Amino acid sequence: MPKEFSLARFLGDWLRHPLRGRDAAEKRFVAMTVSPLLLYMAFWTLFPLLWGFSLGFFEYSARRAGGPFLGLGGDNPFVGLQHFQHMMNFAPDAPLIVRQFHIGFKTTLLFAFIVVPLNLAITLPLAVLIESVHKQLKGLFRALFFLPVLAPSAGVAIMWGYIFHPQRGLLNAIIGRFAGKLIGVNWTGDPNLIVAGVPVALLAVIVAYLWQDYGYNMVIFVAALQGIPQSIKDAALVDGVNAWQMFTRITLPLLSPTILLTSVLTLISAFQVFDIIQIMTDGGPNDQTHTLLLHIYSYAFRYQRLGWAAAVSIVLFLLVFAISLVQTRLLRTEWEY
Amino acid sequence: MNKYLIRVVLGLLVASSLLLAACGGQPMSSPQAPAEPEVEAEAVELRVWTHQNIAFNAGLEDLAQAYMAEHPNVTINFETFDYDTYIQTLQTALPAKTEADILQMFGSWVCSYVEGGYLAQVPADVISLADAQAKVLPAPLGGYVCDGQLYGVPQEYNIEYGAALFNTALAEEVGAAGYVDGWADWDEFIADARLMAESQDGVMTRAGFNFTGSDGIATMFHSLILQYGGQYLKDGVYQVNTPEGVKALELMKLLVDEGLVDPVLFNDEENWVGDSYFDGSSAIGLVGPWAVPEYSGDYPEVVKVTIYAPLPSVGAEPLFAAASGWGMSVSANSDVQAAAWDFVKFAALDPANAVQWNLASGTLPALKGNVSGANAEKLVTEFPYFEPFLALLEYGQHEGQFPDRDFVWYEVTYPRVLNFLQGNVALEETLKTIESEVRDSFQ
Repeated sequence: MPKEFSLARFLGDWLRHPLRGRDAAEKRFVAMTVSPLLLYMAFWTLFPLLWGFSLGFFEYSARRAGGPFLGLGGDNPFVGLQHFQHMMNFAPDAPLIVRQFHIGFKTTLLFAFIVVPLNLAITLPLAVLIESVHKQLKGLFRALFFLPVLAPSAGVAIMWGYIFHPQRGLLNAIIGRFAGKLIGVNWTGDPNLIVAGVPVALLAVIVAYLWQDYGYNMVIFVAALQGIPQSIKDAALVDGVNAWQMFTRITLPLLSPTILLTSVLTLISAFQVFDIIQIMTDGGPNDQTHTLLLHIYSYAFRYQRLGWAAAVSIVLFLLVFAISLVQTRLLRTEWEY
Repeated sequence: MNKYLIRVVLGLLVASSLLLAACGGQPMSSPQAPAEPEVEAEAVELRVWTHQNIAFNAGLEDLAQAYMAEHPNVTINFETFDYDTYIQTLQTALPAKTEADILQMFGSWVCSYVEGGYLAQVPADVISLADAQAKVLPAPLGGYVCDGQLYGVPQEYNIEYGAALFNTALAEEVGAAGYVDGWADWDEFIADARLMAESQDGVMTRAGFNFTGSDGIATMFHSLILQYGGQYLKDGVYQVNTPEGVKALELMKLLVDEGLVDPVLFNDEENWVGDSYFDGSSAIGLVGPWAVPEYSGDYPEVVKVTIYAPLPSVGAEPLFAAASGWGMSVSANSDVQAAAWDFVKFAALDPANAVQWNLASGTLPALKGNVSGANAEKLVTEFPYFEPFLALLEYGQHEGQFPDRDFVWYEVTYPRVLNFLQGNVALEETLKTIESEVRDSFQ
């Protein structure tokens, strides 16, 4: 029986015996067709990654003339781990840039850990509901709920900005209609509005983000639900389960791999939220929506502290990597059917 | 073996051609070529980079057409960028040496690019520093002078304080008449502005005086310190935790407490002063005169009833801090520096051409000669609201050289003062925090 093809095994064989053996011609052909793509990716992906990584160890600004090699050195000196040491400065009088980093770190974690469970809590039941309607309507509902995903983020942010506007916003107008008077709550700009320790401005941004994003996971769950064999459901029905038991004892366990996938993807995406926050609140009020990616953007491109911004990017990468690993480990399942 | 070698070479050629195609773009200009005087007949191409402002660029292109008519061997090509993109483009293009010959600059940026060796010094035959100081107003010129050398020429005077947008129709409606003879002091101003503010069910629906945008707050705070007799930047040391700083914040808080503006509802993120004034949700707005041409297309009726009313001064003179202004510099990497400077001289230092650009762009003049006389009359005829500003320009002081002025203005001063005005933090702590955070930025 032929062995299943494995690229890793192929490349390993190639490296060990690149030009010899009866598969030599095949190996050469593959090498020559793949190498342009590898070179392209090396130049446009690997090099920028390495460059960004290296910048984190320099005090680099594009405005300063540095050394001869890519502007590093000279007026852009090598500082080693200094940026990371500064990040560990938790004194109340630490420089603003460090304090904003800490705020960004906390806000990013808060944002992500609110978005992920809310997203799953919305999309999974929604997918189950869509799957339960007549097949001729399924496509229509799927398309309608997926539409926000296709909307440009800037447009979504502007639209929700208008909904939350203090004097002319739809939300205040609806509340005012019930209250019988003009309501002027600044949902995205009042630093004193805090609910259960979470700034309302952050919650407003989360609402906008969820509205745009939920359709993506919904279609993934719909596809996963369609993959559950009908025979299992029929067997469960024969055993006398009700709808709730069907959902909790059959559907949910069989969707575990999909739940893992969507939660990891949603978490990674939530850690990288930027455009909606920049347009709706620009990190305010009072840095309450200041996330790590906004911090990186501000200090890289507004204030030309590229070295610091690169160091924060490294921290963000390690954070996403670590949490994804933990998540994969915790939600790992051996279910097969 | 030969066949194998041929295949390897072909494969490498394919890879190289893909890479070169991916890298294709504007040709790199030769690094640091020394400027040499061009022979008049030799064809010269000048590339000019500007940010996207319709009025600014229309005026500059008209001047370029006039220059090219006088110099048929010169071709001037413009490339424009969205504001945020322009800043990032400069930061990447300058180290990569792919920038244009002439770069539109805002004064506050110039010295940071000079630090990197990216901008050319203005040649003495274009204008010497001493002549520039005699010919150009000090506030706009200040941004282009770095370590005692001149690195560009301003075309306009950026002023964000001294006078404010004022809706005369609203004033007449509510009986606010103090502006007619000018407000003698802040009490008179407050009386008028309070009449023009409007609230419903405790929610401010129209601000009497919207000064709580980022530029308004930062400029007002620093200008008031000057008017109270202080200096916020002295011998390179930033100091605002001073009696003058206290008085400045106290006055700003008074305006809020008197009901002129609700800083929670009116700030940079919500009801930004420019939008808010022209859509009728602010009666008086603190924003520079550049806003009028920006909004005149969409709000012609509001522009008709708008004047700029001089704000009262707490000092003997209406001193204010000014952030220099837009102008032009030449890349140190340009091969055609002489031609580039010649165009800059033509556009910005010739009084007639300079005022033509001011007329097209709706900006205040940077040249002393255009603040009075026939050129000034042209400006006032076209923009009647310029009149109070022309009388104020001599009192402007360049805001000073900060390592990163935008950081000081937008990341420190604006959020800290806004937080104070919103009642979330005490005055003393606000001053202490602003001073310490700005001083940290100098390190």
